[in-house]
Amino acid sequence: MNGVHRPSSWHRRRRDALAGFAFTAPAMLHTLVFMLVPAGAALYFSFTEWDMISPARWAGLRNYREILFDSDLYPDFWKSVRVTALYALLSVPASLVTGFVQAYLIDLVRRGQAFYRLVFYLPVITAEAAVAAIWKWLYDPQFGLINAGLDVLGVAGPDWLGTPGVVIPALALIAAWQSGTAMLIFLAGLKGIPRTYYEASEVDGANRWQQLGRITLPLLRPTTFYLVVTGVIAALQVFGIVYVLFGGNAGPERSGLSYVLHLYLFGYRNGAMGAASAMSVLLFVTILLVTAAQFRLVPRQYEG
Amino acid sequence: MRALVRWVAATAAVVSLAASAACGGDSPATEKVVEFWYYQPTPDQSKQIKQLAKRFEETEPTITVRLTEIPKDDYNTKLSSALGGGRGPDAGYLDQPLMARYANAGQLAEVPAGTITESDFYDGALRTNKISGKLWGIPLQQTTVALFYNRKLVSTPPATWSELVAESARVHRENPNLAGVNVPKGDGFGAWLFPAFVASAGGTMLDESSRRIAFADPPAQEALALWRKLLESSPRQITNSENPFHKGLAAMMFSGPWEVPAIRQQFPQLDFGVAPLPRKDVAASNIGGDNGVVFGKARNPDAAWKWLRFLSDATHNAEFSNITGNFPTNRKAAQAAKINTDPAFKVFVDQLETAQARPTVPEWIQINDEYLAKAIEEGVDGGRSPADALADAAARARKLLGWQ
Repeated sequence: MNGVHRPSSWHRRRRDALAGFAFTAPAMLHTLVFMLVPAGAALYFSFTEWDMISPARWAGLRNYREILFDSDLYPDFWKSVRVTALYALLSVPASLVTGFVQAYLIDLVRRGQAFYRLVFYLPVITAEAAVAAIWKWLYDPQFGLINAGLDVLGVAGPDWLGTPGVVIPALALIAAWQSGTAMLIFLAGLKGIPRTYYEASEVDGANRWQQLGRITLPLLRPTTFYLVVTGVIAALQVFGIVYVLFGGNAGPERSGLSYVLHLYLFGYRNGAMGAASAMSVLLFVTILLVTAAQFRLVPRQYEG
Repeated sequence: MRALVRWVAATAAVVSLAASAACGGDSPATEKVVEFWYYQPTPDQSKQIKQLAKRFEETEPTITVRLTEIPKDDYNTKLSSALGGGRGPDAGYLDQPLMARYANAGQLAEVPAGTITESDFYDGALRTNKISGKLWGIPLQQTTVALFYNRKLVSTPPATWSELVAESARVHRENPNLAGVNVPKGDGFGAWLFPAFVASAGGTMLDESSRRIAFADPPAQEALALWRKLLESSPRQITNSENPFHKGLAAMMFSGPWEVPAIRQQFPQLDFGVAPLPRKDVAASNIGGDNGVVFGKARNPDAAWKWLRFLSDATHNAEFSNITGNFPTNRKAAQAAKINTDPAFKVFVDQLETAQARPTVPEWIQINDEYLAKAIEEGVDGGRSPADALADAAARARKLLGWQ
């Protein structure tokens, strides 16, 4: 019986494999052409001096050495690293907290969950340029809504986007406002916690805060871990919002000079695409290391 | 399966057909096409430039100008990518400080002798096209800055640096909620304005023939000290509001002619005047603008030069710059341009006579944006002494240029 069926099953398997390749081909082609090849090219160009319009000249490790150690040629490289690190440190927790609070509150209401989900998600799908324009107005030192509100409370608001020390917290606030993705994923996580746990704890006399601290948060740990990892990766690559808010000037005393903005300016404005490629390789390695460290150090599962 | 193959083949045929149609295919041998890239103007300006191109085609029946509009912010990125990929345009705009980089990379065609008469053009604008003694482009339009003042707050515009400081202090003293001047910041724009002040104090930025950095010399220190002094009567908390001059929060600003139509349209209640930049020792101003270049791989360089000569000649240069809101580079065109009858614009035309060309080293943008801007930031807002801040910038520039 086996002997009779083997050829046809082998045929079928081969046909399945072919179909599988055919279906994944577009995605694989996309990854190859638009991700792997450019990444490989960036790695190659990181060892050259290249302005995009003349032939690249081999430079060995010079770009890396100068970027990391020559503060005359790249006076703001380490500043861009500090700015980006501080941004990640502030914006990731801020957006996790607002995302969680939004999800928790939505989960509590009985009616109109879809409406609140939509409203809290809107900032994420709003065009970056529009977001920047809105916040520029909100933060305006003379006529901005935020400072007008603080004025009513008798507090003199800072010049949000004009004071170097305030710029990154101001950007983190925008990130917190745009936490719709974290909200959606937290909401899915909340729905995944069996109601029976809450019912059982209620029988034992637990109040809402105890339920939050002992059931909800621990069981959301895998969700939180995922959001921390993806949030840090995204924060280290922040570009759009700073570019639209500040342009190439990067804000007062370049306090909004994110790593990728710095890289972009060197590649496209200063004609140093070789050095910009080296910076992108450094960023890639950094993200890899940070992510690996998170996998080792941050608790991923709830261990009773 | 066979049906699938047929479907794929048919689709591929349609796609390739569409692609070749989009590329326009090959033009008849007699017709010469000039693909010209320039900054995307407003729809109205775009219509006028197309009409200008049509009039050129009428005088040169064998040439077709194909205009490609690219948003200004993306222009340099797109251009260098296209040229790097070997599929660039025949001719186009090129920002003044990029001339050296493109010429040295072998991407530009040299201007054939006899294409233009050099003495017809403003010297500052023409010189931005000269790299090591050779001419690589034709200046098409130019711009500069002047002093804008609010007539309600400033009755007579200050003519000298000391009058400027006094006037700014008076405005802020009489009303602490107002700033005297919207003081330039340490950014690319501020660093672009800076040479005008340095030149007014008798200095320059670079001496390319002797390979010496001059922007840390006393004139530059004095220029930076002036801006810092102005900041005392012009708090950033006031001027960091959007468009502080336009809204009447700052009594004066240094800016270019593009503000004139913008203010008249969007802030019609603002009663403003334009005056020459206040001077220390000599009258001076800075320069910006765009040159027309023909790229090395152009298919029809002769036709491209004819088009650029048309845009820069005495009859059409004024029309062209009127459309784009800049100034003619051709002196005869400037005489004829309607901007001469508008007093606000007249100031800029006069200022162009004293405009200082930017250094032509290919690294200038990096020096301007990364090093000079930083020195201005530190020296004006950061409280470092102008001498120290500029000395650092000069040391960095020296290293980058290899002028040890």
